[in-house]
Amino acid sequence: MKKFILVLVALLLAGQAFAETRQVVDDAGRTVEIPAKPQRIIALHEALLALPLIELGLDVVGVYGRADDGGSQIDVDFIKSVFGDDPALRIAGIGPIGNIDLEKVRALKPDLIIGMGQQQAQVQALSAIAPVYLQATMAGGESGFSIEKRLAELLGRKDVFAAKQAGYLARVADVKGRLPAETRGKTYLAVIVFDQVSAVRDVSGAVQAIRDLGYTPYDWSSRVTSEATPGRGFAVPLSSEEFARLDPDVLVVMNSYLSPDQSPEKIRARLDAIAPGWNRFVRAAREDRIIFLNSAEVATPTIQSALHTLTAFERWAGQ
Amino acid sequence: MTVTRALDGRLIVRFAGGLTIRLADVVALSGLSLAILLAAAASLTVGSTPVGMADAIAVLWHGPDASDLSFAVWDVRLPRILMGILVGASVALTGAMLQSLAQNPLADPGLLGLSQGSMTALLVIFVFLPGLPQGWLPLAALAGGLAVGVLLVILVGRANAGGMAILLMGIAVETSLSSVTSILLLYTPPEVSLALADWMAGSMFRASWQSLATFTPWFALGVPAILFLGRALRSYDLGDQMAMSLGENLSFSKPVILVTAVLLTSAAVSAVGPLAFLGVMAPHLANFISPASGRARLLLSAAVGALLVVCADMLTRGLAGELPLPTGLAIVMLGVPMFITTLRLRSARRMRGQ
Repeated sequence: MKKFILVLVALLLAGQAFAETRQVVDDAGRTVEIPAKPQRIIALHEALLALPLIELGLDVVGVYGRADDGGSQIDVDFIKSVFGDDPALRIAGIGPIGNIDLEKVRALKPDLIIGMGQQQAQVQALSAIAPVYLQATMAGGESGFSIEKRLAELLGRKDVFAAKQAGYLARVADVKGRLPAETRGKTYLAVIVFDQVSAVRDVSGAVQAIRDLGYTPYDWSSRVTSEATPGRGFAVPLSSEEFARLDPDVLVVMNSYLSPDQSPEKIRARLDAIAPGWNRFVRAAREDRIIFLNSAEVATPTIQSALHTLTAFERWAGQ
Repeated sequence: MTVTRALDGRLIVRFAGGLTIRLADVVALSGLSLAILLAAAASLTVGSTPVGMADAIAVLWHGPDASDLSFAVWDVRLPRILMGILVGASVALTGAMLQSLAQNPLADPGLLGLSQGSMTALLVIFVFLPGLPQGWLPLAALAGGLAVGVLLVILVGRANAGGMAILLMGIAVETSLSSVTSILLLYTPPEVSLALADWMAGSMFRASWQSLATFTPWFALGVPAILFLGRALRSYDLGDQMAMSLGENLSFSKPVILVTAVLLTSAAVSAVGPLAFLGVMAPHLANFISPASGRARLLLSAAVGALLVVCADMLTRGLAGELPLPTGLAIVMLGVPMFITTLRLRSARRMRGQ
């Protein structure tokens, strides 16, 4: 009987904890009442929100941009690229891109929906189903995996984040020791090759790892005209001439995450087409200080993306 | 309402308030209204939550409650259907009116730059003032559309310019604004530009009771105004000179019609985004169903526009499955084959007549 009462009390307390809510102000300045311990979350962006939430061990039941069978609706599957092909991570979608299916959202019974700061247009419709919290995801305010850190603070997962970060920092120390001595403390420029070459900004595990390894950002923004216009996303386009003029000590290059071929040969070929002669003009290329990364693995603001980056640097150091 | 025989022998229906429509047009209008009702009823049963027709009727009869069925019917499908009818009718009506005003079958709110004006204003807000409350967006869309309308009136030079001048000026303004939009999109982060691209293709996702409440006053004011102004549509169809000789005050009516069209178009764009080509297509399809003139043509165009949007929304919501198909594209997919077929049939008919 005693055991039964204890179990009953424990269940009641647990239920109470799950049912508890608290009021927070989101990054769009809205006051939202969210569950203290959300059990079923829907993320409105895969790379920027769903992946950090999954890494924090939260139950993400639906992601915008994924199909019903758990596959990605776009050419890149960030969940699979970053965390591997885990059947447990075949998360359902919430309708086609551009046409969120509110009935599907409701059927997933979320207790919290997390969107980006720019998704205010969707808030009104989704708020009828579950509280919607808008998280800032743009460079300028966010950098490295700060999105994940802030989500951990919001959703009571600080301990999980701290544990993962500790493991990551140990790995950073390990890789740092293997880097060529002559590149330590030098400047880096990270670029991604879409239809043009773009300078990668602050929000990604890749950038966090590169900085934690001791490299300092090359000041490209004062040397090009591109940054004069508002550009707060993942990357800022550079003209071919601007790219050839830049002079970082280390060049980090990745292919578009929509490209199925992330090999260094493919990236070099694309750069040859976009900025012919780049490997003669860019000093880091001439001196063979180029590190190639798989953007689908490293572009997300997660610790796992940072770890993928460390692996690539370790491989480069070993060559 | 009385049915009489006109001088040419055709039966005409006279409604209260002086509205006179051929009996054949009344029949066509009734048929289209019935088709809209049937499409709306079918649309209530289409979506990811299984809802049969009997369930839908029961849910509508009992009113909204907390069930999944009620959510699907009352909160998702019904507002989208009603918004589709209102927006479709508005855009088609405006298109028909502008075609008469410009005396050109190509004129529509999109081609004249009115939709683009609203869209550019919204894009400027999305890019430079992302924190602006949502309530300001309809006003921004109206301001953008109105600015283009005023610019057109100034450029066209009030009454003296012909229909072709209106069309050419509109195309010039539309093209300029399109390039501004493209530049803005270039400097928008990919995640934002993706969302904007969806909206720019026309999407019924944001249709809700609240957005309906915002749009309905514009519809309730704009549509009767256009129908009232459209009483002289037959004169406009005869050309400016003839219209003036028949007593039409074009220096007053043209700007007023243009501004009314701008207000209705801008309100529609702020609600669901621009519905490309609907303003051109619907009047032509209406003309094929029943070659009416005057206000009957406006009403038939409005009915065809409403029907096309309701069917397109049904396609995007259910039949297209996980295909990312915005409503604007679905309208084009549904409407363009019909449009081409009607054009071919009409030219074949004309050939046979010769």
